[in-house]
Amino acid sequence: MTDLKHRPPPAAAVDAPPARHPLGVAKRLRTTVKHLGLILLALIMLYPVLWMVVSSLRPNNEIFRSPGLVLDGLHTQNYGEGWDALASPFGHYLLNSAIVVLACIIGNLVSCSMAAYAFARLDFTGKRMWFAIMLGTIMLPIHVIIVPQYILFSQLGWINTFLPLIVPKLLATDAFFVFLMVQFIRGLPRELDEAARIDGCGHGRIFWRIILPLMKPALATTVIFTFIWTWNDFFSQLIYLTDPQMYTVPVALRSFVDSTVNTSWGSMFAMSVVSLVPVFLAFLLGQRYLVKGIATTGIK
Amino acid sequence: MRKLGAILLAATMTFGVAACGGGSDAGEELSEEPVTLRFTWWGSDARHQRTQQVIDLFKKEHPNITVKGEFKDWNGYWESLATTVAANDAPDIIQMDELYLASYAERGALLDLGTASKHLKTGDFEASALDTGKVDGKQYALPVGLAAYSIVVNTDLLAQYGVQLPDDSTWTWDDLKRIGGEISKASGGKVTGVQSWGFNDAGGLNIWARQAGASLFDDKGNVAIPPAVLAKYWTYLADMAKSGVAPPPSVTVERASAGLDQSGTATNTSVFATWWNTQLTSLTAASGKKLKLLKLPGEATAASPGAYYKPSMFWSISSRSKHPAEAALFVDFLANNEAAAKVLLTDRGVPANTKIRTAITPQLAETDKAAVAYLDTLKVGAAPRVTPNGASSIEAILKRHTEEVLFGRSTPDEAAAAFIKELQAEIDAA
Amino acid sequence: MSALGELRRIRGSARGSPRKKDNRAALLFLLPWFAGLGLITVGPVAASLVLGFTDYNLIQAPEFNGVDNFTRMLSDERLYKALRVTFIYVVVSVPVQLACALALAMLLDRGLRGLAFYRSAFYLPSLLGSSVAIAVLWRQIFGADGLVNQILDLMGIQGRGWISDPSTALSTLIVLNVWTFGAPMIIFLAGLRQIPVMYYEAAQTDGANRWTQFWRITLPLLSPIIFFNLVLQIIHAFQSFTQAFVVSGGSGGPSDSTLFYTLYLYQRGFNSFDMGYASALAWLLLVIIAAFTAVNFWAAKYWVFYDD
Repeated sequence: MTDLKHRPPPAAAVDAPPARHPLGVAKRLRTTVKHLGLILLALIMLYPVLWMVVSSLRPNNEIFRSPGLVLDGLHTQNYGEGWDALASPFGHYLLNSAIVVLACIIGNLVSCSMAAYAFARLDFTGKRMWFAIMLGTIMLPIHVIIVPQYILFSQLGWINTFLPLIVPKLLATDAFFVFLMVQFIRGLPRELDEAARIDGCGHGRIFWRIILPLMKPALATTVIFTFIWTWNDFFSQLIYLTDPQMYTVPVALRSFVDSTVNTSWGSMFAMSVVSLVPVFLAFLLGQRYLVKGIATTGIK
Repeated sequence: MRKLGAILLAATMTFGVAACGGGSDAGEELSEEPVTLRFTWWGSDARHQRTQQVIDLFKKEHPNITVKGEFKDWNGYWESLATTVAANDAPDIIQMDELYLASYAERGALLDLGTASKHLKTGDFEASALDTGKVDGKQYALPVGLAAYSIVVNTDLLAQYGVQLPDDSTWTWDDLKRIGGEISKASGGKVTGVQSWGFNDAGGLNIWARQAGASLFDDKGNVAIPPAVLAKYWTYLADMAKSGVAPPPSVTVERASAGLDQSGTATNTSVFATWWNTQLTSLTAASGKKLKLLKLPGEATAASPGAYYKPSMFWSISSRSKHPAEAALFVDFLANNEAAAKVLLTDRGVPANTKIRTAITPQLAETDKAAVAYLDTLKVGAAPRVTPNGASSIEAILKRHTEEVLFGRSTPDEAAAAFIKELQAEIDAA
Repeated sequence: MSALGELRRIRGSARGSPRKKDNRAALLFLLPWFAGLGLITVGPVAASLVLGFTDYNLIQAPEFNGVDNFTRMLSDERLYKALRVTFIYVVVSVPVQLACALALAMLLDRGLRGLAFYRSAFYLPSLLGSSVAIAVLWRQIFGADGLVNQILDLMGIQGRGWISDPSTALSTLIVLNVWTFGAPMIIFLAGLRQIPVMYYEAAQTDGANRWTQFWRITLPLLSPIIFFNLVLQIIHAFQSFTQAFVVSGGSGGPSDSTLFYTLYLYQRGFNSFDMGYASALAWLLLVIIAAFTAVNFWAAKYWVFYDD
């Protein structure tokens, strides 16, 4: 809340042109309407999520026969059954996912921010070409890359380890984040690093002392997205992790479903809810850093 | 840097594996050394648990052989299998489906199980069942379970709407349409008489063709269904949707893609529907009503029996397995061991092994017993030819053209011509 | 022209640094990226290009067939369908999603009670966007018995299975994409936070209203981020796969109405064992995306404002 002090007054006050009279009825009304609208929108947005939570508390054969969000009772067994439904307790898959996610976050933070600094602030031979190549690498659909890549990784002996999922992130192959950070760095006033350079700082120090602290929102965005995308990524985890001991959450979740027989939908939804909790917590934590932008640090 | 890149490029270009020979011979003596086998299957969590129990049983009998189970969902299974086969890293024991059998076998990815007869016995399988796993005369796959196409009827709903149960030894397709219409009318459209089909299973189309004295594919593996027969099939389905006997097309398509639990039968919103007989147990569990298996209409007046035994799935062994003898031994355990069968029961269909089928029948649930009884009393013809190499996407093609017809974007005749042309082109290209 | 050059020269000298290349520093900073490019990316990418000129069924060795795969595209009707579906999707869903994301980001940036709650609520759907449950969940909204039809029913309107009707299926996927506007929203929020508050304070002192502030301050200063979102969302939309795959059960149906380009490519590669053709398709897609991106970068000169 402290950052609000540095911010302009609430939007509504700016908006109503002469509204200098305190606590105008119109202003209150507007705020209420705004909140009502937002709450309604939030409810619509959240309906499927709520439905999933409700379904995770229903017996299997009621899920598709009783529509709506009203529960007759709490069928909490789904959570216990779902937890133990596969070869290992579900916590095992959560842990595997957590390991992969954590390593990917670190990899993306370090390698992408370095690459981004080079593209945004350094002047080097062939810069435009390299930048184009970087963007080009995310334009090929993964489905035609996966077979040659699998062959490559299997020759390295990496199949059924987390390495095919983690090492690429350590090597900045996620051009999305490089580009994201490039855009953020370019949004930072250049006078800052010029001043530092005059003070005799090298690129390493400028990057570490000036650029990194200022791009916290971008770094937080990277953390949140890497977390969520890796947590949900199905295709590469399915292909590279063959032993159920190594399965991650998305692979485990899908192995509940078989459309030709009964599927334990209740268990599947229960575990979906469980697996949603860590990402949601990550988001809640991350978004606090998002709002601590340059504005609060009082630069300029 | 550039040199390294070139080396890696060369390394990644080692495609194409099946052409060259496999590891050791399947007829060898079993190894005394520790052996690890990889075994992959698709299914739901219930199957994963049962299969793991069987793996544990096997380990008790053969302590030096470790079997590692790799389970996937249906879609993930096939992309994963294709990738591992391409990279010469396929699992040793592969659960195979009829759709893909020829595609993998004819390209040399599967072991001829005939070479493994020392460890893998097939004496308790009927010849007609074994034939379903043969491609070009070689036994590339062993059928696990058998299923037959059927009509599942909700007798509770029939009673509720005061409609008589039809006699399935004489009924015709017109009878189904007429009775279905009565139900739709009695329920005011809330419950439809029939849940339409024609999307996921080539089963329905196969039977339609066979009843007309034709077949979907000829022996050489070319598309053989006459366009007129196909057009009549779609005309029938379109009529049912138009007249309200079946739900509107968008509802039908939605249910077809949503899977068993969300089908009209499972949610008690359709009275008659086509299913494999082995799905009766799952359907009953989902619907909570009394369901009954009926023979398909039109069999009494058919040119030749439409019904046939379809293998629910197969066991196959990778042609590149380093331990084909041990893999064969494990498949033998899956197929012939009574203790294993008593764990698996009908999870993969009614066992094709007749001895095993008799052994487990007393243990089965009522609905499973009904499924076995249905299979035993059904009058069947010879099984149709295995889906030819290249036609593995037949279900997707069929589904698309059925949709074209149901939504009125093609006439049945146009769709028939287009379907045959497209499917044949796929086969020719393979 | 020369005046501009003069300006550049002055600006350059004002910064006190003559045009000296930072090649060595750049190599160091880009070392991980170069390593990734050389070790992980180049090989498979090159392999896929080579495979584009072969007949490759994944199981047997690929055979070169020249440009057959590319000439085959000319008469591939399903490819045209896939292109049409994908173009519609890109053209409609990207602007709508970005507009929603930007509007919500502005609304949720400051000065409102319960910000954290709203942000989370609007972001939560994006967490689910590609999960296996999404097919079932989306059916609860747009299915025959879904929420939309229940509401229509109250108004006495006969609904239909929106997801499974070829004339509306693509629209429901566009809505699904818009529904997950959380990701660009977060990026916008982060971007908004980078705009120094003093600009707004100064503008207010000058008596600028909120609309003017938006046009004069927010938009220009946010333009690099808008540009980023635009470029990336277009690339993503062209490659859109998971949602359509999960919702249509991999078929791109009904009746090919949601046959996204990558979905078609996937079907060719993995369902029909036609990986050579799939690779060729992938490279066509790359060319299309690259063209769109190039146009984007070219146009950026006219509207994206950098402070460097």
